Amino acid sequence: MTDAHPGKIRPVTRAPERRRPEPAPTGDGSALFDGYLEPDRPYAGAFDEMFHADGRVRSHYRALHDAIAPTAAADLAVRSEALDRAYVDQGITFSLSGQERPFPLDIVPRVISAAEWSRLQKGIVQRVQALEAFLADIYGDAEIVRDEVLPRRLITSCEHYHRAAHGLNPPNGVRIHVAGIDLVRDEGGTFRVLEDNLRNPSGVSYVMENRRTMARVFPDLFSRQRVRAVGDYSTHLLRALRSAAAANEADPTVVVLTPGVFNSAYFEHSLLARQMGVELVEGRDLFCRDNVVYMRTTEGEQQVDVIYRRIDDEFLDPLQFNPRSVLGVAGVLNAARAGNVVIANAVGNGVGDDKLVYTYVPEMISYYLGEKPLLPNVDTFRCWLDDECAHVLDRLDELVLKPVEGSGGYGILFGPNASRTQLAAARKEIRADPRGWIAQPVVQLSTVPTKVDDRLVPRHVDLRPFAVNDGDGVFVLPGGLTRVALPKGSLVVNSSQGGGSKDTWVLAAQRSPEAERELGQRGLAVASPAGSPAAEHGPELTIGQQQQQQQQQGGDA
Amino acid sequence: MGWRIRVVHETGYRYAAPVHESYNEVRLTPRSDNRQNVIVSRVETVPPTRSYRYADYWGTTVTAFDLHAPHTELAVTATSVVETADALAPARSATWEELASEPIRDRFTETLEFTDYVVRNRDLSRAAKALKRGKDPADAVLAACRWVREHLTYQAGTTGVHTNAVEAWETRKGVCQDFAHLTLLLVREMGVPARYVSGYLLPRAETEIRQTVTGESHAWIEAWTGGWWGYDPTNDIEIGHRHVWVAVGRDYSDVPPLKGIYSGGTAAALDVSVDMTRLA
Repeated sequence: MTDAHPGKIRPVTRAPERRRPEPAPTGDGSALFDGYLEPDRPYAGAFDEMFHADGRVRSHYRALHDAIAPTAAADLAVRSEALDRAYVDQGITFSLSGQERPFPLDIVPRVISAAEWSRLQKGIVQRVQALEAFLADIYGDAEIVRDEVLPRRLITSCEHYHRAAHGLNPPNGVRIHVAGIDLVRDEGGTFRVLEDNLRNPSGVSYVMENRRTMARVFPDLFSRQRVRAVGDYSTHLLRALRSAAAANEADPTVVVLTPGVFNSAYFEHSLLARQMGVELVEGRDLFCRDNVVYMRTTEGEQQVDVIYRRIDDEFLDPLQFNPRSVLGVAGVLNAARAGNVVIANAVGNGVGDDKLVYTYVPEMISYYLGEKPLLPNVDTFRCWLDDECAHVLDRLDELVLKPVEGSGGYGILFGPNASRTQLAAARKEIRADPRGWIAQPVVQLSTVPTKVDDRLVPRHVDLRPFAVNDGDGVFVLPGGLTRVALPKGSLVVNSSQGGGSKDTWVLAAQRSPEAERELGQRGLAVASPAGSPAAEHGPELTIGQQQQQQQQQGGDA
Repeated sequence: MGWRIRVVHETGYRYAAPVHESYNEVRLTPRSDNRQNVIVSRVETVPPTRSYRYADYWGTTVTAFDLHAPHTELAVTATSVVETADALAPARSATWEELASEPIRDRFTETLEFTDYVVRNRDLSRAAKALKRGKDPADAVLAACRWVREHLTYQAGTTGVHTNAVEAWETRKGVCQDFAHLTLLLVREMGVPARYVSGYLLPRAETEIRQTVTGESHAWIEAWTGGWWGYDPTNDIEIGHRHVWVAVGRDYSDVPPLKGIYSGGTAAALDVSVDMTRLA
């Protein structure tokens, strides 16, 4: 993708021409975007979400660009500081290698047009539905295996395939109450699914807090266009959790089960519990008696109907899994089996997160739904198939090698950056355990302008939309978490690897109801979730926490 | 002609200090199939509990119960009356080629894989190859059973519940659990699907009707060579009218007769007793 446009966009002062309907590629720069599209930038092949290759601003970014471009660098710095301060004041930090840092929220939002979002949403809903059918099948009769669409070995060899979850049927059939489908945008601008997170995808609190903070610091940006609200996530989550309860329970009691204050996502757990108006509990607050789960309260025992647990399967029930776990609730699995409590997300969902299983999602979509996948996967080579393995071993220096269970950016080998010894070691590991590895071509993730020092420069982003399944339909929160790789040239966006995030704007369709609009005429208050002051927020937060924890367990096993 | 056998299995724990909370699962209920008919089966506990029954992944009937009143002893009694059948001849319809074919290997993937108990070992792999040579799959399985019987001496107390097949083989001693695990290792190494069976054996071949003898919780193996059939490597006998089967799995960890967690003092296993009476 070479660029006919001169390398530098000339800085101009605020000019009325910018408002004209036809885009003005050359005169439309500012000091902030100085050198943004330099042909020798390390991202030259990547799809830039704000600019066309010729330097014109994409139409859905126009309002945002026009608002930001004239801003003086000094002014931007002040606003950016205000953003950082807002986060530090609220105590939202993440821990990187044990150190507390403020969570870096970038000042330039990522914008998704209404049409684009509509396509993404359909694709995500389709994927969640196929994966729901898949989980129900493999924890039941496994017809997809009997019909020889998938090999049995694929499923039984998953690290998180839990036989203890077999025959455990949730009352409304939902296993994936919350899904986080990670998307990337390739060089051609096509959104592709990078991985599915069906266990305990975290990060939705960032989505809500990012929006709240942006609305406070940049209220003027929201007045220029209609951005769809994200503040009602908890309403959807609560509805899904309540409808998951057994039908006989008219007013089900829902709790959020957290590993405790030392968990890096504790902030999110407490935020969700507070917004839903339900109890935040730890394992020791709950107990099972005769297959019924109770919560110890100051007013005595109270029966619990739905547990939104943010504890991994392996720690959930010491009777079935790790007997030394003190985080979980003994007997809770049998309580769920007896139909007296619902565990959300369901036990055993980790099969769907396996990156080898991921490569078969298109087959699932066609088998269960009889449809064609709306969202393509990233091309993936499976080391457990001999011919693809040979290809991977042959061309490892061009590929990205990933462990099937790894997540959070850990254990990934970038072939092009790897040394000879690293490649040799990786080849050895692949040969020893072909089932454990997949490889993908290096995808140049799309870029979005990001503030680095006093300039806006392209940085790679991904997207994790959140989908909530209440049994009647799958709700996809407009937008999701955009993670951005802050180091120059880096393609790893995880916060645990030095990433930041961006507010993600889904623009409302032209004719959509006014109610959907973020900060419409109803003013700022709409964006702020009703609740107590920010000072109460917990200390730590990291996107990668869930995956990190799981990977550590994998290492133990 | 099969027998009718009553099995009374008593087991449990004694605790050093009162236990306030305990959660348990027992797998002591025999199942009916084409060679065994369960007439009655129940699991009782002292102190009494409200139990919950379900079938696990392997089809085993699990009785789960929890206790919340302080207790220093937990006794579990499983009583069953079962009609057994005579021995089944080994299935011989599958060839080595079929066993090596992708559909068969995928269908039986779980009973072909190695586990924490059935660990891969180079020497034993060589032994398996040598045993397999020149035989059809069923005969190879029988050869493996005899090889284990020749190389292990039955001796209680030398191995524990967590001993794996290779460790038992290294000491050359073990109990039925070790005999079964070592046989599984050899048979799976040959490429024949094989599973662990837990159950009971009426020890005396000439037991008379109405006679009660002290039996034992027992384990043996089943192999798939065109159909599943069992063999008892500990005694080098076929699975006949003296065997009562309870559960199958990949190894012992899929079929533990009693497992649980509790809060409180240290626990000691109660004396296990299995009384078996031939009723008919």
